[in-house]
Amino acid sequence: MSLLCDCNGIETATRRYLTGFDGLSWKPWVYISLLNSLMAYEVGNSPPPKPWERAGGTSSGPPPFKPPSPGSTSDVVEASGTARPGEIVSTADRNATVNRTALARPVPTRPWEPNYGNSSYGGGYGSGLNYGTGYGSSMYGSLGGGLGGTYGGGGMYGNNMYRGGYGGGMYGGSGMYGGGMYGGGLGGPMGGYGGMGMGGPYGDQDPNNPYGGAPPQPPGFWISFLRVMQGVVTFFGRISILIDQNTQAFHMFMSALLQLFDRSGVLYGELARFVLRVLGVRTKPRKVHPPGPDGIPGPYNNGNGGGQHYIEGPKAAPSGSWDNVWGNDGTRGM
Amino acid sequence: MPFFKTPFNGYSVKFSPFYENRLAVATSQNFGILGNGRVHVLDLNPSGPITEICSFETADGVYDCTWSEDNDNLLVAAIADGSVKLYDLALPPTANPIRSLHEHTREVHSVDWNPVRRDSFLTSSWDDTVKLWTVDRPASVRTFKEHAYCVYSSIWNPRHADIFCSASGDCTVRVWDVREPVSTMILPAHEFEVLSCDWNKYDDCLIVTASVDKSIKVWDVRNFRVPISVLNGHSYAVRKVKFSPHRQSLIASCSYDMTVCLWDYQVEDALVGRYDQHTEFTVGVDMSVLVEGLLASTGWDEMVYVWQHGTDPRAP
Repeated sequence: MSLLCDCNGIETATRRYLTGFDGLSWKPWVYISLLNSLMAYEVGNSPPPKPWERAGGTSSGPPPFKPPSPGSTSDVVEASGTARPGEIVSTADRNATVNRTALARPVPTRPWEPNYGNSSYGGGYGSGLNYGTGYGSSMYGSLGGGLGGTYGGGGMYGNNMYRGGYGGGMYGGSGMYGGGMYGGGLGGPMGGYGGMGMGGPYGDQDPNNPYGGAPPQPPGFWISFLRVMQGVVTFFGRISILIDQNTQAFHMFMSALLQLFDRSGVLYGELARFVLRVLGVRTKPRKVHPPGPDGIPGPYNNGNGGGQHYIEGPKAAPSGSWDNVWGNDGTRGM
Repeated sequence: MPFFKTPFNGYSVKFSPFYENRLAVATSQNFGILGNGRVHVLDLNPSGPITEICSFETADGVYDCTWSEDNDNLLVAAIADGSVKLYDLALPPTANPIRSLHEHTREVHSVDWNPVRRDSFLTSSWDDTVKLWTVDRPASVRTFKEHAYCVYSSIWNPRHADIFCSASGDCTVRVWDVREPVSTMILPAHEFEVLSCDWNKYDDCLIVTASVDKSIKVWDVRNFRVPISVLNGHSYAVRKVKFSPHRQSLIASCSYDMTVCLWDYQVEDALVGRYDQHTEFTVGVDMSVLVEGLLASTGWDEMVYVWQHGTDPRAP
């Protein structure tokens, strides 16, 4: 390694050549056997050593980890028997995961899965780790929970599930993985529709045949509708996660908003009072009223109490509390 | 140091492990809720403004990015549509991304390259899983599914090629060995969602976690019943936390309270620095591996600041 590091330029050029970085086709797995044969040398340019690597060993006792295994990461994982290439986790798989302990609080429902956890659709959609089953590993399993009724049952998914999961994207679109592991890889052009429930029309096609059958058609009403629905669900999902990540901030925001509304009520009251006063309308002051001169029935002296002082609060009961709101006894006008 | 203004809201910033003046910024339109994303590659000039080398557009927001430890031109982006995209800066923009990996079924929230073995990277997603990818495979090597809620961050151990930890909204942090079928440790780290975690670079048994409960905790994986240290000081949820590559006990964090804080968990007054240059949520922070004390941050105010610890980030 040190030898190669000393002549970094050559090493970089070698690596570029080997991994095909110079060309537009980057297919390292084609060269993997070649790379493996060169694994004695480190192929690839290395960043400068990290500060902690220069510093030496760990400072506080042995770590509780198994010693690192030699070899590349993929080799190590495969040797351990835990490798599961390309696994796509559906909702049902998540429900079935094990070792779910030590939760400090109940996990909230995901915003994009209204019935998460008790979905009656969950079992139907998520039967698969393997790509062969009809609905397995559905990307839309998440939607299924909430909108299952709209789909009208699983039948619409058809049997071209491959395209739903992979079609529009990695395997079909880029062509890099075409003809590869999944067979359905070249279903790109129709992938989007397949996944979104157009399984019926295309259902009986050979998923390995990229061009057979009907050409892709513009999405119909339901497709567009479901796409819009998915967009809406995603939109609110992200907002919800954001709020989730920031519980305190949201709480503060909402309470500030409520306070603002509360205050604005007071504010408008004061404003109205001010404007009325400017216009010459005498309004009731908020504090203790000064005693009106005897004999002059002021607006605050309704006659039956003489110099009775009103404090803010419940009005005198006999004349009806609400009738006194405007300062005149309601019965006087009768 | 000057700043850089991005057209979209910043989400993450990472220094290159190869070049001390290069960094990548992940940004998303409309606060990452709706719209496109863009990855910027920036160059720092000793005197003068930050210049953009190139940028890559995506069809959905970019929540995180990381540099390859094996190739100075390789950049990985975590996209909100569930895809993971690889970019090669040596190629023309039309040839990028060189790879687009679609396996996550929900938004991908973090990506981290293995600094020890340098041939693999991890992505964590809102579909509750963490995936392990290697550059020599077209599909993920393994999927780690145990978390009961969104996984926000997964970080490799800087000294051990097979170990990583993941922080999740199910309030736990899990430690994993890629050779083991299940997680090797479950830390019930916080009362609320854990948004970020990182390993100590000098003591490979220490983990720092940051949570919605506004606190930062330092844990020893050999005895994780109680935290070694609890750092309080942020007034809102702590979004990202990182151990310094240069000093054993130094921690950088950024929070929804719009500040970047530096902590020394071993001293009494743990808060050793507080920077409030951002005017919106600060969601990305990084410390340069190559230049001691050099910090970078980004946030929803569409600004990227790069500054030396102890100086004013806004100073021209």
